[in-house]
Order: sequence, then C-alpha cells, then structure tokens
Amino acid sequence: MKSKKYSENLLKLFKKQNFKVKNFDNIIESKIIIERSGEIFKKSLLSFEDDDGKNFSLRPDLTISACLDYIKNIKNGEYKYTYFDQAYRRTFGAKSLVRNQLGCEIIGSSSKKSDVEIINLIDTSLTKITKNKTVIWINDLNLFNNLVDSLKLPLRWKLRLKRHFWRHEYFKDLLLRLTTGSDLQKNVFELDKKSYQEMKRLNKSYKIAGRKISEILKRFDKKISEPRSDINGKRISKIIKEYLKISCKLKNAKTILKKFEDRYGVNLKINESDLFDLNIKNKEIFFSPNTGRSLEYYTGIVFEIYKKSKKIHLASGGRYDNLMQILGSKRKIPAIGGAINYDNLLKI
Amino acid sequence: MKNQILKIGIPSKGRLKEKSLSVLKKNRINIRNSDRGYLSEVINFKNNEVVFSHAREIIERLANGSLDVGISGFDLLSESLPGIKKNIHIHKRLNFGFADLVVAIPKDWIDVQTIADLEEISFNFKDKNYGKLRIATKYPNLTNDFLTSKGVTQYKVVNSLGATEIYPFTNQSEIITDITSTGATLKANKLRILKDGLILKSSACILVSKKSLKEKNKKIILSKFLKKINK
Repeated sequence: MKSKKYSENLLKLFKKQNFKVKNFDNIIESKIIIERSGEIFKKSLLSFEDDDGKNFSLRPDLTISACLDYIKNIKNGEYKYTYFDQAYRRTFGAKSLVRNQLGCEIIGSSSKKSDVEIINLIDTSLTKITKNKTVIWINDLNLFNNLVDSLKLPLRWKLRLKRHFWRHEYFKDLLLRLTTGSDLQKNVFELDKKSYQEMKRLNKSYKIAGRKISEILKRFDKKISEPRSDINGKRISKIIKEYLKISCKLKNAKTILKKFEDRYGVNLKINESDLFDLNIKNKEIFFSPNTGRSLEYYTGIVFEIYKKSKKIHLASGGRYDNLMQILGSKRKIPAIGGAINYDNLLKI
Repeated sequence: MKNQILKIGIPSKGRLKEKSLSVLKKNRINIRNSDRGYLSEVINFKNNEVVFSHAREIIERLANGSLDVGISGFDLLSESLPGIKKNIHIHKRLNFGFADLVVAIPKDWIDVQTIADLEEISFNFKDKNYGKLRIATKYPNLTNDFLTSKGVTQYKVVNSLGATEIYPFTNQSEIITDITSTGATLKANKLRILKDGLILKSSACILVSKKSLKEKNKKIILSKFLKKINK
C-alpha cells in the first residue's frame, strides 16, 4: 500500500534524526483550542460536555497536541516531535471528519539551525520517498511586519494589517478600506463631547461593562489626536500590494527587496532577517511574501514545498514562537514545525 | 389518492401570533378559535391541521418535514444550522415582524463607534488579560459569521436566553447582539447600536418544507393553500 509505505518511510527518516514518536491525548479541553482559534472554530470541533458542564473535543490538530504534550510533560529544553496520526474536525470537508496528519516539530528552540533542520529534513525526505524533485517557497513574516511599521499610519491600522495578514479575503477588504479612506476620515468619528465632559467628572476607576472610565477617555483622546487628514491610504495600499507581488529566487531577494525599500521609502529591516543566509540544501528555492499566509500562529520563517513539475503542494510549515503561551505555557517557548500534505502525497 | 393532511405551523404567542392570524384572515384563511389549545384547523380548507408552536420550533419542524408550511422569522431561519436551512424554502416575506439584529455596546463607550473600534477593543481585552471580550446573544451563529467577516475574532459568545440587554451591566458580558425594532429597549438599557453594526434585517416569512415539496400529492395541496395566501 502506497500510503503505508510513504508514512512508514517518512517516519523512519524523521526518527533517524532523533525526532521522537509520541502518542498524544485524544481528547482536549475545548476552551484551550477556542482560546487560540477563536469562537468561529468552535463549529469545527467534535465536542461533548461532561456532567460538570466542561466541554471537551477530539484533538483537531496534531501541532496543538504536540504543544500541549510539551507543556504537560517535557516543560524545558529542546524536544523533537514527529507523528503520524489522526486529527478530527468538521472543516476537513463533508467526506470525512478524520484526517491523517504527518509532521514534525522542534519545540523549545529559537535557533536558526532548527529552522534549517526542519526545512531540509522535510524536503530531503519528500524527495527521497517520492523520487521527485521539489521546489521550496520561503518567507519571513517579520519583513511584512517591518514594512507595516515603517508606513505612516495610525497604530490601530498597523496592528490591524498585521493581525489579519493571514486572512486573505479580509486583508483585501482592509486594503480597499485604506484605498477608499473609510475609517480614516473625520466624519466616521463622531465627537460625543457632552458624554465626554460628563465622564471626565466621574471616578476614573469606575468600570462600565468591564472597561475603566480612564481607559475609555484615554482611547477617546488618542483617537481624536491621531493624524487623519495626512494619511495617504491609496499610496499605502499600493505599497503593500506591490510588496505582495514580489516573487523571485531567494538568492536575488535581498537585492530586489532593497530596491523596493528605496523606491517606496520603507524599511523592511532586511539585515535583521535570517532568511537570506539559511543553509538550505535544495537550490530550487524562491521568495514570496505570500508564502505561509495560511495560519494565524506563524511568526517568522515560513515555508511551502511543492513537487517541481505540476507544482503540487507537498508540505508547509513555519515558526510559531507565540503559540505555546496561547495554549497555556507561562513562558514564551519558541518552536518550529512542518506538516506533510498527506492527501497530495498519495496523488503522486 | 390517500388523504393528505396539510400541517400548518403558526407562532404560538405574542405579536407574531396575532399578526400571523390577521394576515391569514385577510387572505380568507379562517382558523378555528382554539383559545389556549395548541392544535386547530383552517375551517375553509380541506384536510389540514394547524399547530401553534414556538417560532424556533416551527423552523425545525419544517426542516424535518413534520410541518409542511409555517410562519416564522427570517432571523430565526438565518440563525439555523446549514442542514436545517437547506430543507426550507422561503415562499414569501411578510409585511410584519420587522426587526434588525444589531451589535450594541454600552452607550458610555464613547471611543467605540464602529466594528473596527470593537476589533481593537477585543485585542485590548486579550492583551490586558481581562480574558476575552464577551458577547451575549441569542444568535450565536449569525453573530459569529458577522464578526468574523468584519475582522473581529477575539471574543467569546455567551448564550443568552432572554433580557440580553442587561448582560453588560451584570458582568455577564461586555457587549451584546440582539434583535430590535425601534431601538427603544436598547436605549432604555443604556446601550447604543454601532454605526456599522447591522447584522441582519428580519421580518416574518411564509416558509415551506422542501421535503413536502418533493411529495407529489402534498405539493398539490400545498400549492392550493399558498395560492390562497398569494391572493
């Protein structure tokens, strides 16, 4: 059987590099997942309630399972996980609620070496078992964040663009709003001066529906003092769109990005990025700022691997340095991982 | 041909019941007065049964085919799960039961005017470790879809069974989404609708079970009944 052969061989190759196979808990407390993915993800979970009203779900994703295992059992240091097991959720489509997930993670490492190790391991393993050439697309999400930071925009807009970069359709909508100037114009913001004056006289530590009066007034003051009229939304939207159009060989990326910086007067902090000196074995490696825009939790280097001919997606992954804290770790634990597109792998 | 009984669902209480009966009466569909009984019939139409039921239940029963036709709110239909919606056909939107599903916030949150502000506030809540912004609602599905489409993702839905307007002031939620026709109840409870906070415009509808439409004999009797309403 092709599927069994592929999975067994990949796991063997991962284990050879000291990645450990672990059996993860089948059931996770739902609030842990909803805390990370938001209320909308609730619909996707296969969940049930116990007698105490606590909600539990079948594990929806094995990266999350690996993180939870690390928090519960490993706690410190670097740990290399690999897995081939089932995850359960409704978004896998009408055909099945079950998906085989094959991947590897290095948790507890912020080292560039780990980034290289994951990318090289997945890529060389895929080449070996499929006997097909691959191409890698790579990106550093920090470049986009730096671009946004260097734009002349109110802070709330900068945050908005960064937060929603991974949601393609909504991001397009945000750029449209920037182009048309909605939400930046004065008339959108009505000065409720009467309430403002009344509230100023109240006890500032008094809370209205969970927010202190001082907090409300502070934000109100900040909003009216933020520059609006001199924001060139059209130009900013154009700069972002032009940035997202960049697509080139990684070896040329630095030069192209520098030219982009000069042209638009922005600062991507290229020299701070690890992207340009990663020791990746595969020389078919390209840069696109759109790579890795699929998951909210990615934070830095992200990659996608494709079969060279026909460009079939085979794997993707990236750094997720904030996820462990969202899932309950008391301290920041850096991590990087990647997952094989198992369904596509079986097609080739 | 075996006698087919047409099962008609009518809201069992409140203005929706009164207006539904009034519209039917105007169309010369006279329902036998049943006082407090939940079962009745249309006097001037053959082989039928009228079931007075909760507006939400009418939708569920239309979807499973235990009612053939009924009157309920567009908001309740829209809130239903896709598996229920796909089994119901909207025959006609009626001229009553108008109401808007809206996002409402405490009126004193003067710095919050739009959904974009709300998105920012929701992140502030998270960053300040207040937990997630809580939204009380009777319409979790519509609320989720609307907020996510507008970029608000950091919140928690609190399911409300009634008197949603007081939730922000009893520490059960920070904001709400609720149905309103004039906005007076929201205002009386110190709440304000966000400028772009309209989720859905609703009215009463005549709804038909798609399962019934698939049955040849049922379809004939159903068409006759709907024709009477269309007059």
